Amino acid sequence: MSSIHARIPADLAATIRKETNWSLSHRLRHGAQSVLARAYPRVFGMIREPSWLFFDLVFPILGMCSFVFLLRSRGVDDAWVSATILASALLTFWTSVIWMMAGQFRWERDSGNLTLYITAPVGLGPITLGMAVGGALGMAFRAVVIITAGTVAFGATYEIREPALLALTLLLGVAAMYALGACLAAFFLISGREADHLGDLLNEPMQLLGGVFAPIRSLGLVGMVAIGVLPLAPAADALRQIAIPQLAVSGLLPVNIELLILVVMVVVFSIGSRYALRYIERVGRAGGKLLTRAD
Amino acid sequence: MQTDSPYTRRPTSFGPLRGSAADAVRSLVASARLAWAIEGNWAEPFYLAVYLVIRPLAFLGLFLAVLSIGGSLNPASIGFVVVGQAVFQIVGAALQGPTHALLDDRERYRTIRYIFATPSSLLPVSVGRALVKAAIAGISAAIVIGVGAILGMPLRSGGIDLILLTVVMLLGLLSIVGIGIALGAVCVQLRNDAWGYPQAVAGSVFLLCGAIFPLDTLPAPLQALGAALPITWWIEGVRRAILGTTSPGLLGTLATGELLLALLVGTLVILAVTPRLFKLGIDRARDKGYLDRNTAS
Repeated sequence: MSSIHARIPADLAATIRKETNWSLSHRLRHGAQSVLARAYPRVFGMIREPSWLFFDLVFPILGMCSFVFLLRSRGVDDAWVSATILASALLTFWTSVIWMMAGQFRWERDSGNLTLYITAPVGLGPITLGMAVGGALGMAFRAVVIITAGTVAFGATYEIREPALLALTLLLGVAAMYALGACLAAFFLISGREADHLGDLLNEPMQLLGGVFAPIRSLGLVGMVAIGVLPLAPAADALRQIAIPQLAVSGLLPVNIELLILVVMVVVFSIGSRYALRYIERVGRAGGKLLTRAD
Repeated sequence: MQTDSPYTRRPTSFGPLRGSAADAVRSLVASARLAWAIEGNWAEPFYLAVYLVIRPLAFLGLFLAVLSIGGSLNPASIGFVVVGQAVFQIVGAALQGPTHALLDDRERYRTIRYIFATPSSLLPVSVGRALVKAAIAGISAAIVIGVGAILGMPLRSGGIDLILLTVVMLLGLLSIVGIGIALGAVCVQLRNDAWGYPQAVAGSVFLLCGAIFPLDTLPAPLQALGAALPITWWIEGVRRAILGTTSPGLLGTLATGELLLALLVGTLVILAVTPRLFKLGIDRARDKGYLDRNTAS
């Protein structure tokens, strides 16, 4: 590094220092603009490319129908049908976390866009936050469509006595999931072809461990561990207790404890993702492998 | 007008179905070896084995957990779900295999143009890739059935009917690879989300074929649609061979001979139509320049 700096004329080095020595407000404004810029295509992309919206909706709806018919074949209480529809809506966020957060930088690298991110005057942090904000907003629309479709097709009913608590739970659950996705993005970025398989392993196995379609209580000790490390678990359990009170007895922990767990997850995963992305970027730049295609 | 069509002007020796039977076998073996390298060497054997075990068992656990919401699980329900889910592992892989192989070669490895330029025929290349994916899924299916047996799944009295199992597996595999090949020829025409269509078809078939719940749970029009799918007959045949029981509802009224005949006729129709559809699709893709396309999807 020092040899490179030594070759830069003093007046040019001074200009660079002057132009990159931004004030805190300038950096915050720049970061916010970067977040908005990255979030924008995630929200408005579905208007320009309706086939994305179609596939984002068709897979969870097909999965939801399979579970609902499985429940109907057993003559299970309709409250569980409502819970299944709610779980399918929550899973749209999780799927987005796996493929549009964790797997995104790897995909960007293979398609050539990561080079633009690295050369742009913005860190990976604001870009990641923009991906999360845009992804969550885009998926919120899909979740509403799924719940509406499920309610119309299967007559699901919800009894929401505390809408603010429901909104807070959803917000914290989604924030924790996307923060975990940002952590995983660093891990996926250093992965080769195994990243696709890793994504698969984060799908159904996590749905089982997260107690998404069945009460996490039935998993026993494994469920207790899952609720402490996997954001899906406390989010699904708390949402079920709040939106379908007759299923509150199936909850593993009281809602306020699960909210506390989600808050801790948001903080820990956010800090973890910041360090992980910085580390991967530094190591990747030094080794010259950050932009190398995996296959 | 017909005689001016580019399809009729192309020499018969050039296209996705060219070459002798021996060439086709060589291409199939080579592509199967390549597919095994792609599917099997992304991790150390231990991690690969763990992956092959975890995912199907998680799927099974998910269904059994949902099934247990309605009360304690009875062995018959476990058997029904285990066999349906095990066979569907193969269905999903074989349905998606040819499309993913074509798109992988076109966009990820960017080799399809070179394969097309060699004397190899694209059809056996795609079939070889699909068969290996199905074989790997078959390992997962065997694991699922083994775990089902440990969980108390009732097996057929007198043991598994190996002859029936072999016949239905062979016919079922041929039919599903045929459908997968046709799907691949369609998806290679698409610009957007070509990867997603086989998954959407597999998801729809999963819903309709009675893999995890009896067909009569579906609304009447969907029941009729599901009962007309060869995959439904395949899963029913495997259930009869392993469990020795019939499914409730419409499928259960069919004699095993009728079921086999339906599966045989369905498979023959698929095998008669599929190579023509594949040739048509690949020729069109070549003429339109779609074999060189990179959609960045």
